Amino acid sequence: MKSLYVEGGTPLHRITVRTKLVMLLAASVVLFFVTSPLVLLPIFLLCAATYFTLGLPLREAFGRVGWVLFAILILALATLYFDGARQAAAMALRIGAVVFLAAAITATTAVSAFMDEITILLQPLERVGLVRAADVGLALALVIRFVPEILERYGHIREAHRARGLPMRPLTLFAPLIILTLKDADTIAMAIDARGFRRQ
Amino acid sequence: MLQRSEGTVLDIRFADCAVRFGDKTALFPLNLTLTERRIGIIGLNGSGKTTFARLINGLVKPSGGKVLLGGLDTVTDEKQVFGKAGFIFQNPQHQLIMPIVEEDIAFGLKNRGLKGAEITERTAAILARFGISHLARRRVHELSGGETQLVAMASVLVTEPDILILDEPTNQLDLKNRALVARTIDGLEQQVLVISHDLSLVEDFERVLLFHGGRLAGDGAPGEIIARYRELAA
Repeated sequence: MKSLYVEGGTPLHRITVRTKLVMLLAASVVLFFVTSPLVLLPIFLLCAATYFTLGLPLREAFGRVGWVLFAILILALATLYFDGARQAAAMALRIGAVVFLAAAITATTAVSAFMDEITILLQPLERVGLVRAADVGLALALVIRFVPEILERYGHIREAHRARGLPMRPLTLFAPLIILTLKDADTIAMAIDARGFRRQ
Repeated sequence: MLQRSEGTVLDIRFADCAVRFGDKTALFPLNLTLTERRIGIIGLNGSGKTTFARLINGLVKPSGGKVLLGGLDTVTDEKQVFGKAGFIFQNPQHQLIMPIVEEDIAFGLKNRGLKGAEITERTAAILARFGISHLARRRVHELSGGETQLVAMASVLVTEPDILILDEPTNQLDLKNRALVARTIDGLEQQVLVISHDLSLVEDFERVLLFHGGRLAGDGAPGEIIARYRELAA
């Protein structure tokens, strides 16, 4: 079970969650309309610098965004092939900037703060009976809280396979993972009830 | 170290209470009243201990009969019952919902409608009371077994329930952490009900219940009931 939050006192830590989410949304929309790599490059560098100066060890910092950057690289290569270098550079810089900004916001916002903000933002939908705002906030918090734990369990199942000399087959890896996860989900749901979540 | 003071003691009453899961009877009809401050529950695996304990705070609903906690029906007065009875699960990691210790402790208070400064104050107070203030900003996955158990207890007790139910609280703990948890339980002012395979934990309690095959097989003073359990397990 891991938190993606990083302790610190950077300006991004001090900004309210709502402002950060609005910033991210605005950046995503505005950057969509910027096509010049020369304009996108400093924005990309600023976002990357913001992320890498949060206090995360370099290895962990790369680890968090590595797969996304790899996917962007593949996309860029495809764009280079079909649309040329300018388009490829613009696409990679644009998405890269948003990824670094999103990662920086994630790292500077505690899960409970996210949860509170999402709950507040969804209040209008709750008033018209579309959702239960607190449920959505909790669901998001649980995803952040338990995804790393599921990955850790997957690692244990792989180790158990190795220890018993069993071949790694999707069925024998994922079936126990799903069963154990569902079993835990029942207990976690009970724990949430026991801690008074439904008393709100 | 916590100093025990005398808190409220609730009457826990089981009236013809039975639990079935599909075709399987987990608990046969039971009539029982508990009024003691320290109650132990022992028995083999699958004997109905956890089902019995979960009935008390309404996590499990009776298939027949009723359970009353301080006069409140665990079915019709569910919300008030959750407020009166705190529950610590067998694996305390499952009940830590937030990734940071103080956030997790605040979770229960937020659910009670408390706000900002009061949450901060009460969170700090419970951490200090348990002697774990240094863990406030720690990630819960980094805690040791004993620390996890203490944080789980603090996160439940911060909401000031009248009764605390602990399901195998010393399970998987080393000797040092067992002693730590046992001392902490001993110091609680709340009425405490403990399910345990660790017989030393309940041997000083006022009353011990023994379950076997979904039935109450013994009820009395610890010495006598533990001896009967040893015979059953032999």
